[in-house]
Parts: sequence; C-alpha cells; structure tokens
Amino acid sequence: MSNNLTTIMESSRHAGRSYVDAMIRSELTDAVGADYVSSNAADQLGHSIDYYWIPEMWHDRGRDNPKAQYIVHPGSAEEVAKVLRIANNYRIPVTPWGGGSGSQGGALPMYGGIILDTKRMNKVIHIDTEALTMTVETGMNAQHMEWAVEKKGFSTMHFPASIACATIGGFLAHRGTGVLSTKYGKIEDMVMSIEVVTPEGEIINTLPVPRHASGPDLTQLYLGSEGTLGVITKVTLKIHPIPQCRKFHAFLFKDMHQAMTAGANIMRSRLRPCVIRLYDEPETARLIKRVLGIDKQGAYLVFGFDGFESVVDLEMTEAIRICMRENPEDLGEELGQAWWDNRYKFFYPPYMFHMPQAFGTLDTVATFANIEKVYWAMKNVVNQNFPEAAFIGHYSHWYEWGCMLYARFIVDQPPKDPEEATAYYNRIWDMAIRAAIANGGVINEHHGVGLKLGRLMKDLYGPAFKVLADIKKVMDPNNIMNPGKMGFRGV
Amino acid sequence: MCRHLSPVGNVTYRESDTPRGRALMLDKVSQQPQLLENPDFQSAIYDAELSAACRTHCVSHFDEAGLLLAARRDIVESGKIPAVVKQVADSIKALKLALKGDAKAEVIYYVDRYTERYQPEMAAATEKILKAAGVSFQIISGADTGKALAVLGCWNEAKETAEKFAKSIRGVGKKVLITSCPASYDLLKNDFPKYGIDLANELEVLHTSEFIRRLVKAGKLSLRPSTAQSVFPLASDFLGNYNTGFTAHEELAALAGVTLQPFGFNREESYTAGEGGVVMDELNPRLVAKLVEHVLEQVDNPSQDMLLVLSPYTKYVLSKFATKKLHLTTVEELIAARIKE
Ligand SMILES: Cc1cc2nc3c(=O)[nH]c(=O)nc-3n(C[C@H](O)[C@H](O)[C@H](O)COP(=O)(O)OP(=O)(O)OC[C@H]3O[C@@H](n4cnc5c(N)ncnc54)[C@H](O)[C@@H]3O)c2cc1C
Repeated sequence: MSNNLTTIMESSRHAGRSYVDAMIRSELTDAVGADYVSSNAADQLGHSIDYYWIPEMWHDRGRDNPKAQYIVHPGSAEEVAKVLRIANNYRIPVTPWGGGSGSQGGALPMYGGIILDTKRMNKVIHIDTEALTMTVETGMNAQHMEWAVEKKGFSTMHFPASIACATIGGFLAHRGTGVLSTKYGKIEDMVMSIEVVTPEGEIINTLPVPRHASGPDLTQLYLGSEGTLGVITKVTLKIHPIPQCRKFHAFLFKDMHQAMTAGANIMRSRLRPCVIRLYDEPETARLIKRVLGIDKQGAYLVFGFDGFESVVDLEMTEAIRICMRENPEDLGEELGQAWWDNRYKFFYPPYMFHMPQAFGTLDTVATFANIEKVYWAMKNVVNQNFPEAAFIGHYSHWYEWGCMLYARFIVDQPPKDPEEATAYYNRIWDMAIRAAIANGGVINEHHGVGLKLGRLMKDLYGPAFKVLADIKKVMDPNNIMNPGKMGFRGV
Repeated sequence: MCRHLSPVGNVTYRESDTPRGRALMLDKVSQQPQLLENPDFQSAIYDAELSAACRTHCVSHFDEAGLLLAARRDIVESGKIPAVVKQVADSIKALKLALKGDAKAEVIYYVDRYTERYQPEMAAATEKILKAAGVSFQIISGADTGKALAVLGCWNEAKETAEKFAKSIRGVGKKVLITSCPASYDLLKNDFPKYGIDLANELEVLHTSEFIRRLVKAGKLSLRPSTAQSVFPLASDFLGNYNTGFTAHEELAALAGVTLQPFGFNREESYTAGEGGVVMDELNPRLVAKLVEHVLEQVDNPSQDMLLVLSPYTKYVLSKFATKKLHLTTVEELIAARIKE
C-alpha cells in the first residue's frame, strides 16, 4: 500500500472525512450494499481486539488499538471478489475476520484499511447424504453449522472449545481442531474441497476430492494461510453418522510420564479413541481439581470411544487394559463422563485466566519420542527465566506418531506499562517457542501463527520460509491480504 | 464469547451487536464514560435484543442484559437520551390506566398494550376461558406497568409508573393478577420489590398460562380431545431466560393433547424478535423486521407449521413484519379453541 494513501486515509480518519474516504466508501457500498459497510466507532472497537493477549491488555490499560477504516460484510464470493478488486486498485490492506476468536492476532487490522467480516456468508448450501458431506459458506458459526447438520441426523464431529464464537472459515484459516480430533481429525482432515477468492479477485475452486494424484494439493495450501493468500468462501466437509454411543474412562497416574506411556501405547496399539486428554500434575492440581473436584496428586488422563456400543465396549476393555499396565488409580467411567460434560468450562471464566494476568497457550506438537522433551524444555526455560510464571499443560490431540501439547504460562502481575508488558510477554514466547523448536516441536498445532508468532516462522522453517514468502508474493502481488501476519512482509 | 446467542448480531453481522462486542464497548465506556454520548455506542446499546440468553446458556453466565440495562440507565441519567428513545418513553408516560369490572372479582386481568392494541384475539380468548371456568374478573389496561420504561433506561419514570399501577390495584383484597405479557409478568414478579413495592400479601401474580393450567387441573375447564396437531413453540425471553424453569405453557399444551416440536436449529438463540427489548419495534422497526425474517428462515413449512408464540409483542411483530403469512397462535387461543362448550 502506498504510504501516501495510508497517510491520507489516516488523516481523514482523524480530521474529518475527506473525499478519498467518501470515494472508497461509495465503491464498497456499491459492492456489498449500504447496510454492510461501516465505519461505526462501536464496530471499529469490536474489530480491534481478538483473543490475542496484547490487544486485550492494551485495551485493558486504557490504550487504543489500531482500527479498520471500513468494515465490510460481503454476502457472497462475488461480493468478496469485488471488495478485493477495490482494495487492489487502491492498495488497501484487507484483513478477513470471522468470529474474532483467534488467539494469535490474525484478524487484527494492524494497518487499518478494510476488515472483511465473513459472518454474512452463513448458509448451508447442500448436505449430501450419500457421500456424507456438507457444503457451507465459511462465515457460518461453527455451532450453527453443527446444529444444522444434527437436525438432519449427522454431525461434523468438529467440537472446538470456541464452537460458539468461531466461524468455520476461521478454523480453515488456522488449521483448527476439535475435541474429537484423535478419531475424526483436525479440520484439514475433514475438508473435501474449498472455494477461494484470490487476492486479485478471482473465484477459484480446489479439486472436488481430497485424495488424488493430480498435482500438489491446492486445498492444503490455503488451509492455514490465515487470510494471507485469499478469502475462503465455501467449504465441503465430511460429516458423520451420530454414533450409537460415546463412552469415557478416567485414570489418575502417578506422574505425567506414566500417563504419557499409557496414552502413547493406546495410540500405538492402533485402537481409535475419539479423544485422549492427559493433564500434567500442576494442571491436574489446578484445573481438574476446580472443575471436576478431583483433589488428588498425579496426572489425570481421560479417553473416550464412540460408535457401535459392542465395538466401543471392546475398545474400552483393551484401552483400560493398556492403561492398567502403568498401575494408575482407576477413576472409572463417571469421572471420565464428568470431564466430557464440562469440557468447555475449562476455557471460560472463572476457570480461564483473565486480566490483569498475562497468559498464553504455547501449543505445539511432536512425535512420542520428542513430546516430553519439548514439554520439559519449555517448562524449564519458563521456570528459570520467569520464576514468577506458573506453567501448566495438557496433551489434547493424539496421532499414531505423537501428540499435541497445550501448555500455558500464567503471570499474575505482569508489568503495568503496556510497552513493558508487551516486551516481557514476547520474551516468554520467544524463549519457550525456540526451546520447543530445538527439541523437535513446531511453533503451533492448531491456533495458528498470526501476528503473535510471525517473527518465529523463520526460526521454524529455516531457508524453507522463502518458499512460503515467494508463494505469497506471487499470489498477492500488491500485498493487500492480511499483511504483516505469519511472518510475511508488512505494509 | 458466544455469537450464536445474539439474534441481533446474527442479522446485522456487526461485531458491536455480539456479546463480545457489547462487552468490549461497555468496558471502554467504564474507562471513558463520555463514550456513552457517542451515537454509535448509543445505537448499539439500544439495538440490543436483551434476550438474556447469556444468563442461561453462557458457560460463565455472563449477564449481558443486566450490563446493557445499566448502560441505558446511565445514558438516560446523564441527560443524553437519544431522541427516539425519549419519544417512545414520552408516549408511554402519557398513557392512563383504567380498571373496569366488579371490584369483588377474584382475578384482575392486566391487558398489556400489545394485546390491547394489536392482539384483541388474545384478550378475547382469555376472557372466554375465564368465563367458561366461572372465574369472575376485573380488567386493568390502557398503560404500561413500568417495564417498557425500565428497559428504555428511564428508571425513575418506570418506578413512578409501577407505583401508579400498584396504587390502582392496591386495597382490593387478596386477588390473583394475571397477564399474558411476559415482560409485565417479569416486572410484577421481580421488579416490584426493587422499586420498594410490596404487594406479595395482596396479589398472587401469574402468567395466564399458569392460571389456565390451574383451572384445568382443578377440573374447572374441560378440553376437547387432541386433534394431534404439531405445534412449534417460540420460547419467551422473559418466561425463559429471565424466569428460568417456566414450563406452564408446555404442561398446558400436554394437557390439551398438543405435541410441541423443537423450533429452529439454534436451540439457544432467542426467536422472539426482540421481546426482551419490550418496545423494540418502536425503537428500530427495520431491525425488528430483520429479526422477524430470521425467525421466518427457521420455519420449515410456513404454509403448514403452527407457531406457538408466548408473548403479545412477538405475535404482533411476526404478524406485522413477516414477508410470508405465518400460522401463529398463543396459549390462550390454543386452549380457548379446545374448551368443551
Ligand atoms: C475460548 C476459546 C477456545 C478456543 N478453543 C479452540 C479449539 O478448541 N480449537 C481450535 O482450533 N481453536 C480454538 N480457539 C481459537 C479460535 O477459536 C480458532 O483459532 C478459530 O479458528 C478462529 O476462528 P474465527 O472465526 O474466530 O477467526 P478469526 O479470529 O476471525 O480469524 C482468524 C484468522 O483467520 C483469518 N480468516 C478468518 N476467516 C477467514 C476466511 N474465510 N478466509 C480466509 N481467512 C480467514 C483471519 O484473517 C485471521 O487471520 C479458541 C479460542 C477461544 C477464545
């Protein structure tokens, strides 16, 4: 974007509106309709903060966050294309916004410009009961989508803790995941195909099926691109029959290592639990105690199976047998079911952390050989350099080869000054993530990169990052799509 | 924070109409109170549907409605009331109450403004039921109980209006007061004590459906057997989120042999088109029209499905704004049609 235009737009925002603003606004209005273009102060505030701690803290300390000049709500891919063509013409940055529930600052309009809010694209287009797929517009709230398909007797099996606030487009953009991912996969495993509006306003579709030998997989290129390569406007997802039953069982192990051995053995046995969740000792003491009332020392592990009852019972028996080899305390079905019933509570007040505390989810993933090393490397670096910080963690999403670590740091009294607090917060992240990378982890497993972790992308990818940066350059020559995120060039 | 609970956000798609957007806005206002004068903030605060769904469905029971009501009151008390709100409040204040009928009657039936003006069939059905059950009644009507003013943020005027209402029915002996209006029911049950009005020894406040259920159970009303009709209830904000555990309409439907089917795919969103806002159609009819369209989208079969509406407000706005004809009924009409003559 030209610096002059930024300056003109900035000054028009502060010193009354200029004709530049009026011209752009009229073009946007022509593209999406008068009801769907806003420069309303209340909307600008709402779009200036997602769930990234820095803007929340900035707001909490009475500071203003960067705001979009225009918030547009296109109702179709065609309208998205029109908006992107206008933005290209004037070189205005465009930041897609779904539910604003991202924790990485991905949807923040850091350079002002246009917020392209997708929520108006919220329709179910088709449910295919033969192939078991559904096609929806990506601005659809994930809870709405689930209920719509449940009404037809199916389920997406995508149950993230933010189901009620996030859009399906947000999950695609961040490679998100849900609580049943261990059996049903992350969002990238659920996708058949997508429709995308490219930065230059072309509407394209990826191949109709996810398995092929017809060149590299375009769908997977867009998944996780966080609005930097275009706007995903439609998706066809797999859906599933509602299982006859879903059962849970919980154990308390002496320590996290024993519990990890049991969890890894379940996965290596090739049983297919829909969920395994393992809490380290500090999180068992802190959260499992508060939410489930289990006031015991050790590491809590819960797993579940779903499907035909006879099969589930068999799988349960085998998984229990595997766990018992590590000599845990058997907490039974009830304390497993209680975890499922309360699964969203862990992520919301009063159990979730809140201002003025500083907190962050250091989520990563590694092989079974590395995951505990990653845990200890992160924990040690946080404990040694920031003794005031608590470090807790659980392992949420399990694969045949490893699992995901959902670690968190919590600081009760971070610096009051927002600049200092920002620097302090970033130091924790830099050290912890670099420790993860050094031990075979990655910078993130399902929350994405955004503004928060962009600077660490080169540490993670090494020279391979140039490939990503070149793709971005070719696909978005005017760098209008979400500039400055994911480690890509800013304005 | 839950976007699926925000009917206004679900039709405007605006961030400032979602629970999170509203929370951010109110938080900013608490830091900079002068923002309450900002017209963009004011309109978002007055556009809120106040369904109180967050109280019931939010995992943290965030009281969004309570905070918005407090903000409205702050706006009014700071003297910066928006013109449209003042106009609606003034027209409500000008109304006069009238009490008709035999002072010795067992029941006082409060006919709210929406029933009186737009839904005379609801009042007729209620009167038919009362007569069939041999219940003597007086009617009080013509004005607001104070609820609409309270919801507009005019706390002092609401209190005065509520006091006038209380005065007009005070000292008539121990009675049952019934109303079909969920907002008035909520005020009489829950807000009166906040205004220091204590009628507990004189009045038992019941929603019409609770009173009719009592009549049926006492054998004072006999109903014709079911025609096995399927009916889709649109849950009420005041009889649900503000007064949890209210099931009289469901029990009555069962007593009348009517099968209730779940309405809409969002089990937690309010489909009342702004009942919690009490006079939302007067403040922002365009927005209410959008809310009605949103309800209409959930009706699988508009030419066949019967919707059971629990408030006179909702029945009115659905009749007025829906772009397709809907089959609407109320508990009172459903029961009145089944009375054995
Ligand atoms: C309480 C809580 C619990 C959470 N639990 C989970 C969980 O269990 N699993 C999980 O995966 N995440 C979780 N998250 C994180 C968050 O919900 C996800 O990252 C989600 O994918 C964000 O979706 P959104 O619609 O809110 O996207 P936003 O925050 O609006 O945007 C996120 C990013 O996606 C881009 N984007 C959005 N829509 C599109 C589109 N259509 N096309 C292109 N780019 C787009 C934006 O530009 C931005 O970069 C949680 C968050 C919270 C606050």
